[in-house]
Amino acid sequence: MGSLARAYGRPLAAVIAGITLVWILVLILVPLGAMLEQSLWWRDAKGDVSLQIDRLYNEISTLQLDRAGAADPARQAQLDAAMAQKQAEATALEAQEKNPPKTYGLDNFTRMSGLHLYIFVRTILYALMVTGLALIVCYPVAYVVALASGPRKAIILTVALIVPYAINELLRVYAWLMILDYRGVINGVLAWLGFINLDAREWIPFLENPSAVFLAMIYTYVLFMVFPMVNTLETLDRNQIEAARDLGASTLRIHRRVIIPHAKPGIAVGCIMTFMLSAGSYSVPAIMTRGQGGDWFSQLVYRQFYESNNWNMGSAYAVSLLVVCTAFILLMMRLFGVGLRDIAK
Amino acid sequence: MSSSTESAGARLVLNIYIGLFVLYLFLPLAVMSAAAFNSFDYPSVTQWRGFTLQWFVALAHDQRLLQGLANSVMVALGVIAVSIPAGLCGALILTRLGQRSGTVLYSVLVSPVLTPGIILGISSLIFWREFGVPGGLFVAVMAQSSFIASYAMLLFLARLQRQDRTLEEAALDLGASHTLVFRRITLPFLAPTCFTAAVVAFLQSFENYNTTVFAIGGEWTLVTEIASRLRFGLSPVINVVGVIFVALTLIAATTYVLLKSRPAR
Repeated sequence: MGSLARAYGRPLAAVIAGITLVWILVLILVPLGAMLEQSLWWRDAKGDVSLQIDRLYNEISTLQLDRAGAADPARQAQLDAAMAQKQAEATALEAQEKNPPKTYGLDNFTRMSGLHLYIFVRTILYALMVTGLALIVCYPVAYVVALASGPRKAIILTVALIVPYAINELLRVYAWLMILDYRGVINGVLAWLGFINLDAREWIPFLENPSAVFLAMIYTYVLFMVFPMVNTLETLDRNQIEAARDLGASTLRIHRRVIIPHAKPGIAVGCIMTFMLSAGSYSVPAIMTRGQGGDWFSQLVYRQFYESNNWNMGSAYAVSLLVVCTAFILLMMRLFGVGLRDIAK
Repeated sequence: MSSSTESAGARLVLNIYIGLFVLYLFLPLAVMSAAAFNSFDYPSVTQWRGFTLQWFVALAHDQRLLQGLANSVMVALGVIAVSIPAGLCGALILTRLGQRSGTVLYSVLVSPVLTPGIILGISSLIFWREFGVPGGLFVAVMAQSSFIASYAMLLFLARLQRQDRTLEEAALDLGASHTLVFRRITLPFLAPTCFTAAVVAFLQSFENYNTTVFAIGGEWTLVTEIASRLRFGLSPVINVVGVIFVALTLIAATTYVLLKSRPAR
């Protein structure tokens, strides 16, 4: 802090520190804390409370009938008192129904149903597979762009990669939706070749298969793997490769001992970004499946918030997802021996 | 000066591979763009019913999409207004901090980039409801800014690492006030990055879906409106939006390359 004040003067340093503090608190830490807090309590909405209320009102109606038929004033007073007492009970229960007491605990996490837990685990596995496949597909691409082409070709390739990268994520998913839809491009070509008849609804339902989400997801996030790898590989001195070759190393060995070790930070960043994006992706599964393929976890989270209106459960789901993603990041950093500073370059 | 480390055969295989990869990237976009000009009322390239521009006209009359576009621009401008100052201040502090405390602060400020987008949306939604602000454009601005500010900060940090600090120190020694030094030396040095960061922030905000869909509540942006329409079926009007995006991106990328390659060579 001292050197900041020395460089910019006290007033300016205070403004700079203040804005940063607001950013940290209002945009990052407190909202996360609020989400965590929300996941740790629930309101006991007991179904039998409304039943009890209904029963009380039934009894009150019966009493009213009795009251109308009773001639004796003492009996009337007795019925009035009974009615007032039942009404008070009903009012108390109604208040409880409207605003049930908060209870703190881990129930939102432990109450996750078997099906939801299965979807959670499956989403994580799918995200890991997307990450692994993207890594395999991207390594040669990054290698060529960074090392194995002249400067001109490298520029052209970079632009060829940046253009799809810059285009809206949603539109990239949409393009695949068009291709795989019932009347989509692939079914259209099959129909044109005479294999299927679209008018008889004989199409192949690609979208009802989980691999459709998979395909679109790799397409959408593959470039988040390419760019970090290109960035690290570009700093590799090509003479190292030449030297290894001159000393008789095979191509495989050069990749294993020279290129991949140098690319490590890039690989780690690429894997972290791809995993994080695919595990938390709502756009791809929501659009590709349209409720017909298997759900991804993000869709369950969305429904907790916007359909079941159970924000506590939804927060618990979101926290679970965040924990897994954080664990993955820490694991990758440990495995590849990179620090946070290397990640965001 | 192509690399000599590969045999001709290996190079051929690599080139074919890259070709296929680029094709994989562009073919879906080409199909999407072509279908925008087909007069068939379902977006298709296999059932071609003749060239038309009618879907462009339909888009021009689509009030909800146009309103979505206006909302998207407003949110993006809001995000720029929040995230550029935040990112700048964060970067200024980090370059002056020691290694230890710097790393902690750095981790906190970079963490939103590594957090799944839906979680940023959810946490902002919950946080602002405490203050009685329901999901909407404002909450979307806040949710998006939390991670876009981090991107801006990284850009500023990279620039500040190349700064020659002796310039500021010399100005101070010569009696300039701190404010004057900041205004006349630091800010002009950072101005190009301010511009880049603003462009990046605009694009990031404009295309964001995963964070926005949770924070937006009953309002909508262009992207969330497109997404909710896709649930009910495809329409060539969406393809027209796609064509416009592809065209703008191509123009921007080519301009960028031309500008960059000219003075260098």
